[in-house]
Amino acid sequence: MKKSKYLIFIFILVLHSCKPDDPIITPIPDATPYQLIIPPGFPTDLNIPLDNPLTVEGIWLGRHLFYDGRLSGRTHPDSLMSCATCHVQSRGFSTGIDNPRFPGGQPFGLTGITTPHSTMPLVNLVFNSNGYLWNGMIHESNPNLYQNNPLYHRRNIESLVWMGIVAPHEMYGNVDKTVELIGSIPMYRQMFAAAFGSPDVTYERMSKAIAQFIRTLISSDSKFDKYLRGEYQFSQSELNGFVLFVTEEGADCFHCHGGDGNPLFTTNLFYNNATDNVFGDPRDRYAVTGNPTDIGAYKAPTLRNIFSTAPYMRDGRYQTVDEVIDFYSHELVWSPYVHPLMHKINDGGAQLLPLQKQHLKNFLLTLQDTAFMTNPNFSNPRPDDQYFQNDPF
Amino acid sequence: MNYIKRFFSLQKIPILLALMSLFFVSCKKPEPVDDTKYGKIKFEFLHYWGDEPLLYDSLMYQNAAGNELMINEIQYFVSDVTLQSEFGSKMIKDWVDIYYVDKDIPSTLIWNVYDRIPVGNYHKLSFIFGIPAAKNIPYMYVNPPERDMFWPIFLGGQNGGYHYLKLNGKWREMPENQITPFDFHLGVGQIYSGGVIDVDSITGYVQNYFTVNLPGLNLSIEEDKTTVIQIIMDVKEWFENPIMFDLEVWGGYIMQTQDAMHVATQNGSTVFSVKSIYTPQ
Repeated sequence: MKKSKYLIFIFILVLHSCKPDDPIITPIPDATPYQLIIPPGFPTDLNIPLDNPLTVEGIWLGRHLFYDGRLSGRTHPDSLMSCATCHVQSRGFSTGIDNPRFPGGQPFGLTGITTPHSTMPLVNLVFNSNGYLWNGMIHESNPNLYQNNPLYHRRNIESLVWMGIVAPHEMYGNVDKTVELIGSIPMYRQMFAAAFGSPDVTYERMSKAIAQFIRTLISSDSKFDKYLRGEYQFSQSELNGFVLFVTEEGADCFHCHGGDGNPLFTTNLFYNNATDNVFGDPRDRYAVTGNPTDIGAYKAPTLRNIFSTAPYMRDGRYQTVDEVIDFYSHELVWSPYVHPLMHKINDGGAQLLPLQKQHLKNFLLTLQDTAFMTNPNFSNPRPDDQYFQNDPF
Repeated sequence: MNYIKRFFSLQKIPILLALMSLFFVSCKKPEPVDDTKYGKIKFEFLHYWGDEPLLYDSLMYQNAAGNELMINEIQYFVSDVTLQSEFGSKMIKDWVDIYYVDKDIPSTLIWNVYDRIPVGNYHKLSFIFGIPAAKNIPYMYVNPPERDMFWPIFLGGQNGGYHYLKLNGKWREMPENQITPFDFHLGVGQIYSGGVIDVDSITGYVQNYFTVNLPGLNLSIEEDKTTVIQIIMDVKEWFENPIMFDLEVWGGYIMQTQDAMHVATQNGSTVFSVKSIYTPQ
């Protein structure tokens, strides 16, 4: 027993010594370490920076900030905006096509400027180390991430907080103003003290706390998950749809969107999926890599909760899953930049028959995770507080 | 004593001399592997088209069938890498027996083998291309990039968890003259009853992994030194030797076409070679 303890200690030491450039872990006095539970089959490589370990108090603080409309740095009811304004739990932490504030699910900022791309859902992000946003620009390898970002060096979920506060199509605020406003609220000073050891409110701490909360947003309890765990039996139609999903002779979705071997239902990689033959989006993958093969390429989004996260594609061009299935069946558009995995391009798509489309749709429905979208641990912690953004549904 | 005297009697000396000279002239006796001294090895994986390093993303190659093509992505597994000496073999275990190579992930192109290799001379390198059945367990990889090589359970059964190879590119498809993607993917094949390609018609699976032998190796492991072995995958060979692989015949995807995968595996034995072996000073 003693020996095995020794071995474990050495193993941990070796693991931690592998990355000499990693920041030194700063212990947080009195904060309670949070044990993230990794569902069976999910990645064990977690995107948790060493200098931002998950703590119960940090997540609790982050959850408050995520929902607090004063994150915009303003208090007028018309100017409240937080992460939760566009990332709605009941819509898989996407916006939702039926969002009363954003018709058609197209979000816009406090100034009315629409976001350049549709909303990506905040789900299972802790399992992704391959960049965030549609083009993956938030990534440790990106040297060009806005250097006026106080945490530009981090290039992780933490950076998304800064982007949300300052971007003209989001809160169009000022980080210092937000920090000042949040710091003036007594409740937060106590929460910062609990999470970070002192009541000082800083942007770095705010972004760390929100990132901690986002890293807990794990969806792993859909019918499909239960099927893999042996707790649910697929109907014949769902099973047929699953087969179509993971076979080349079928719809061949799995190469980009995962499946039984990748329950995230995304590879988190980037593909030109044959939606267009004219390109010019300054925010495609090519804008990040400069590699011509990435022209018109975007991240394959997760298909978890797909029926709650419309509209679809980076520009929200499709309103229903049926439209997306039709696109992949018959409407692929050839261009020199189409990804080589789109091998049915010259047929226009997978040529699914109506019944096959129905099977595929029924399978996709098994990816809905209601427990995730109603999990009380992820909801607005102060639903009666006028400043906090309630789920509009 | 009498025996020795007799043996070295004058009459026997010419025979003895002849035997001794035969021994020295015939061949140098291989030195035994020394299990008390160790060196290290490092593999470098290179990708070529014929004699030249492969250039990607440009329609600049023509295979034996006349298909004009480009290569975009190469991802594969090698496993059970074994060094053979006159005195036995040494399988490289590393942490696991399976190694993943991805042309787009530079760190995978250099494999610093964890194992210590006994000092000595090795004359043959062999490995399995892909993953042998007993080790190809579905869902064993949960992290990328290996995870994204998964081979659907319907197509591989309980011993076909992962692609052996993804070789993705595009070719000029005729007669339309259209640039068309191809996904040259290898893994466990399926036998379909009645020729109907439907998972409900699968009556069995075919393990398509194969052994690559690279004899004529002149590998000398020296104590406390790292020897580099450069392995070349000649992509051209997948399409022509000994059987011509015509994209016009087999099309752009072959995961459910065992005949096509069989051709590929036949060609696979000549795909790899050793470019050079050296010990950096």
